[in-house]
Amino acid sequence: MSSAPRSPLDRAALGRMLTRIANAGGRAALHELIEPPARGARRIGITGAPGTGKSTLMRCLAAASLAQGRRVGVVAVDPSSPYSHGAILGDRIRMGEVVGHPEFYFRSLASRSAHDGLADNLADILCAMEQHDFDELLVETVGVGQAELAVRALVDCVVLVLMPESGDQVQAMKAGVLEISDVFVVNKADLPGAGQIAAQVGDVVGLRRYEAGQWVPPVILASQHDAASHQAVAKAIEAYFAWRRNRNNETACRRARAAYHAQSLIHQRIEELLAELPSATFDLPLREVHRRLVTRLSADLDASIPPTQEAYVDVR
Amino acid sequence: MTDATQLHALRGRRILIAKPGLDGHDVGAKVIALALRDAGAEVIYTGLRKSPEYIARVAVEEGVDAVGLSVLSGSHRELVADTVNYLRRAGATGVRVFVGGTIPAEDLEYLRSLGVRGIYTSAMPLDDVVASVAQALAEQTT
Repeated sequence: MSSAPRSPLDRAALGRMLTRIANAGGRAALHELIEPPARGARRIGITGAPGTGKSTLMRCLAAASLAQGRRVGVVAVDPSSPYSHGAILGDRIRMGEVVGHPEFYFRSLASRSAHDGLADNLADILCAMEQHDFDELLVETVGVGQAELAVRALVDCVVLVLMPESGDQVQAMKAGVLEISDVFVVNKADLPGAGQIAAQVGDVVGLRRYEAGQWVPPVILASQHDAASHQAVAKAIEAYFAWRRNRNNETACRRARAAYHAQSLIHQRIEELLAELPSATFDLPLREVHRRLVTRLSADLDASIPPTQEAYVDVR
Repeated sequence: MTDATQLHALRGRRILIAKPGLDGHDVGAKVIALALRDAGAEVIYTGLRKSPEYIARVAVEEGVDAVGLSVLSGSHRELVADTVNYLRRAGATGVRVFVGGTIPAEDLEYLRSLGVRGIYTSAMPLDDVVASVAQALAEQTT
């Protein structure tokens, strides 16, 4: 890959910036939005149930891209405790050798108030990373079930990771995460039952109706011990991006991102307002609770917040 | 039962728990990581046998508020000094450093002279460790 000369990666500056963005409350974030740069990175989302091998696959994909001369950034989301709000962010441990690469950057995030498999302010976090000249951003979601589809809006290519013995899971996923994925990876293919899962997914994908020129998601068997299988996944992703380049759907993509961005900001704000309400409020009739919440939300419109003062102030 | 302020003493804080050097005992590091999480912190764990240089890189990359170094090998003097140096070189301004492990009393002063904010041995109750970390981080923001 030929890349124009670019400035060295300023890890300390980006690290501080991302912490500030992640800590911004719903209101503060609205007042200091990060503009997406003209040339964004290609974004790949890795999603799937817990324990399917998302992190390990991501390491292999990152290594392949680094070998091609790309600057690669990873964002890995782990769940926040609903009780303590704490989190153990452990995805970095699985990154092996690539963490030492000069063109590699890894950021762990806690989901905080997001319940969609992503993290608060992720839309801005990705844009802030793009300002540091990344060629590729990999986003690993929280280990998800059926309904965490938000990653679709923020990335260009969704890779769904499955594993053997997840037959019921495939049934359950038929409407949902199975529909939004561009590449399917059946991981741990050295375990029995992998072929069966691949066949089941192939059935689901094959029964769909495709228009001429539409992308048909490939199903790839992969294993940690089989480097060729990771090359096959990387190739499928390249093929997807090649297909996508000729497709001219940038407007639809931009609108979907904007819609998700607005939705996530408002979701975060409502979580904050709910936490601020005295708990006795919830003894009131639901209409009244609703009225109070909407009133508080509307009050944000009148509150003028000079960006220099309140934007990205800690919400702790 | 802990009251709410104690429970969320570390809410929104990012803390790196790291094992520099060659010792392979990480039970202590994991116990501390879980205690910090239960106090509301977001804890990043490096895994075993990391170099001071790598730990500093992770600290700036992850934009953490604090680094906790767990050392049971007896090499704490060198490993902590190296990590503090690399942190400075990597531009990690304002990152607080804590040390845990088997630290003899005669080394406490030296570690403090390097800028270490808290030194915790296995004798210290977890609640006290959490309270001490929370206090050091609160001082930082004022």
